[in-house]
Formats: sequence, C-alpha cells, structure tokens
Amino acid sequence: MKNFLEKLLKIDRRLIFLALAILLVFPIVKPLGLPNLNLGSEVKSLYERIEGLPPRSFVLMSLDYDPATRPELHPQAVAILRHAFRKNLRVGILTLNAGATGLIEEIGERIPKDIAPEKVYGKDYVILPYQPNPVAVMTQMGMDLYQIYDKDRDGSPIRDMEVFKGIKNVKDMQLGICITGTAMLDYWIAYTGDKFKFPMAGGVTAVSQMGYAPYLQTGQLKGLVGGMKGAADYETLINHKEKGTSGIDALSLAHLMVIILIVTANIMMLWLKYL
Amino acid sequence: MTLIKKYIPLAICFLVGLMTLASYYVPNKTSENYLEVMNKWENIVAGFAFLLGLFSLFFSHYNKIRRKVDGWGYSLFVFVGFLVMVVPALMSHGKQMDGTSLTGLGWGYRFMFNALSGTMFSVLAFYIVSTAYRAFRIKSAQAGVLFAAALVLIIGKVPLGQLMWDKLLGWTHLGVTQIVQWLMDVPVVAGRRGIMMGLAVGGIVTALKIIFGIERQYMGKD
Repeated sequence: MKNFLEKLLKIDRRLIFLALAILLVFPIVKPLGLPNLNLGSEVKSLYERIEGLPPRSFVLMSLDYDPATRPELHPQAVAILRHAFRKNLRVGILTLNAGATGLIEEIGERIPKDIAPEKVYGKDYVILPYQPNPVAVMTQMGMDLYQIYDKDRDGSPIRDMEVFKGIKNVKDMQLGICITGTAMLDYWIAYTGDKFKFPMAGGVTAVSQMGYAPYLQTGQLKGLVGGMKGAADYETLINHKEKGTSGIDALSLAHLMVIILIVTANIMMLWLKYL
Repeated sequence: MTLIKKYIPLAICFLVGLMTLASYYVPNKTSENYLEVMNKWENIVAGFAFLLGLFSLFFSHYNKIRRKVDGWGYSLFVFVGFLVMVVPALMSHGKQMDGTSLTGLGWGYRFMFNALSGTMFSVLAFYIVSTAYRAFRIKSAQAGVLFAAALVLIIGKVPLGQLMWDKLLGWTHLGVTQIVQWLMDVPVVAGRRGIMMGLAVGGIVTALKIIFGIERQYMGKD
C-alpha cells in the first residue's frame, strides 16, 4: 500500500495534463447546462448602473486586454456592449494596450453583424485608435479629449461626429468601464475616476478580482465583472447567453478537479506519515 | 560636460516634476494647458521608447546569434516574428481590415498572435493543476487556512461548487455566496488595503527622490 501511494504521489504529470484536457474538452463539446444561480452582487451593481442610465448617455469603454486573457474578458466586453446598445446608450471604445487592437477590430466587425445591427457608426458608437501612453490619455480625457484623440481608428475627424455631441471630456460622460487583465483599471480609477469624479466600473480576470474589493467598498468602483463567471452572470442578467455561459461548465469541472487533487494528495501524504 | 550630463537633466526633472505635481492640485486654465502639452509629449516620448526598446531587443538577440550562445536558435524567431507581423503591417498601412476582409496584418493577428498568445496562457492551467496535486501540501496551520479560504472561494465562484455546497451543506443555512462575500469584504480588503497603502507610500517616496535628485539611476552610469 505504502509503495502504491508513493508511486501515486509521484505520478507522471503528463497523465494529469491528459486528465485535465479530457475534462475540459467534454463540457466544451457538450455543455452540461449547469444553472448559474448565484449572481455576483458587484456584477448586478454594474448591470443596474447601466440599466439606470438615461437614453443617449455616453459610456466610455477602455478594452485593455489581449488574446491571453480573451476567454475571460472578451465575453464580458460583448455582454456589456450588448446591454449598452439595448439601452440606447452612446459608446466610445478605446484601447491603451497594443495587443488589444485586433480584438477591438473583431468587436467592430461584430457590432453591425450581431451585437447591434441597428446602430450606426459615428452616431451611436465610435472606435478610437490605440495610444501608447495610458496616463497621458487618462489625464487628458478629464480636460479636453480632442487634444489627444482628434481622429477615430480609420482617420476620420471625431469632433463633428454625432456620437460626441455635447462631449468634451469625461465630465460629460456618464460611465467609464475598463476591461483589463493588467493594472490598467487601477490607473483609470486614480487618474480619471477619482480626479475628475468620473464613475468607473471594471471587468477583470478572476485571479485579480479579489484585489479590487477595496475599490468596491469605497465606491470608487461602481461595479465589477470578474472572470468567466462574471461574464456568465452578466449574460444571465441581460438574458443573452454566449461564450461566458458556455465556458462556465468547463471552468466548474476544472475547479472541482483542482480541489479533488489537492485533497487526495494531502490524504495520501497523511496516510504515509501516520499510518 | 558635467553641466550637460548632470545638472541640466536634474534641473529639468526637478522643474517638470514640481510643475506636474502642482498642476494636479491647481485646476486652472494655465495648469490644464501645461498638462495638455505634457500629455502630448508623453505620448510622443512613449512612441520613441517603443522604438528604443525594439532596437535594444534586436541588439541583444543579434549578439546572441552572433556569439552562438545556448539557445541562439530561439533568437532567430524574434526576427522572424517581427518580420511576419511588421511587413504585412507596413503593406496594409497598419490597418487590420480592408472593408469587410482581413489584411495581412489582421490575418496575422487573428490567426497567429491570437492563437499563440492564447495557447501560451492556457498552458498555465495545466501547470497549476499539476502543481496543485504534486506540491500543495498542508503542512502548517497557515497552509491550512490558505487551503480553506481557497476551497470556499473555488466552490463559491463556480455554479457546480454552489450546487454541491447547497446539496451537502444546505442544512447549515450558510450560503457559500455569503461566505465568499465576507471573505471579500473583510480579510481580503484588509490585506489588500495594507499592500495598496504600502505601494502608494513607496511610490510617493520614490517620486520625491527622483524630483529632488536623490535617485539618479534613470540618468545612466555616467
């Protein structure tokens, strides 16, 4: 028994990789359809915030994530955008992450196809080009945004676009949302949210979600969507299930596997030590 | 030479540092105009910093290839990867879409960078699971607390965990969501806030040291 347990503790890690791969593939191919019963309160806060905005309010979305964090953050961005358009809000999309440009192109491609086909570019939404210095952009957005963004990503002047009617800086906007896998949300809170009293919300990866709890408690963040679970929660709230919801089953099983492995390994260790 | 290499940069740093700091607390037209100019400059300098970083990267990998150090073959891929993305980017003038079709840059981003970057990150999941089994040993009370907190969070954050909790521990009338919320609101906030305050104080001290010329590493060795 002792030898067997020792062998089991030193099992080839490739077998664990294989077990995880099988466990992940199964629910992706055939979703289990587990009910998402407990929705996060901070996700609901963001949903309610957007729900309460008057039509034609301006929402600024800073999509600062790259393909590495795409599975968690892209569904969040799509769900929030869908909600904003459904509420007839104006949306400005920008990025301060060079790796995000292609993902924003993808969103730009999807808006007229399936996110909000009735919305018109330049009237209801706009996509701004990538800028290399986040702090400069965030500070400038509080004063005169046209000094740093005079053209959209296609090179068209933005000042006369209908979507920017009555907008000079973030004080004329009603909500800012930063979706990121980096510390960009902290910067948005410090340089734009707090300084210019601009309501900020965020979307972050599950692993960094806990770190934003102080901001939620002080009201510096009006809502937070965390990881794939947050995306699934938001999709449930807007009643439009997509990638967040379909990925949550795989996430559930992988989490369960981690718990089982830790518990099993520790029971075996205790067995070897005391019995 | 000392004047140009040392005193003038220190004076510029001191003046710009103080003016930028003051402009944060003096919200009038003059300080806004000053910040606008600085923001434009920062953006331009950041663009050049990218270029500088690129040359530094090339130089470092070129030397590795020239000296044929261990793993020099990987350095070739730095140049290959650069050319594969930059040549199509130049040809398409930096655009990823041409009407409704992808340009070479867009194709490279969507079907190469996207896949490679996603793969690199997702490999982590396999290592985490393997490490959880092979290395996470609860040998002390601290490790026990860490595991208990992680267990509750893992269970509370996924639907399957929530279902299991309700089935097995529903009789306790303790909702896992409430426990996760308490963990988020009390111990996590306390720990995180301490770290954030430490970071902020460290940041302020470092900034003041740079402004007053005590910290001079940014000026190089000379």
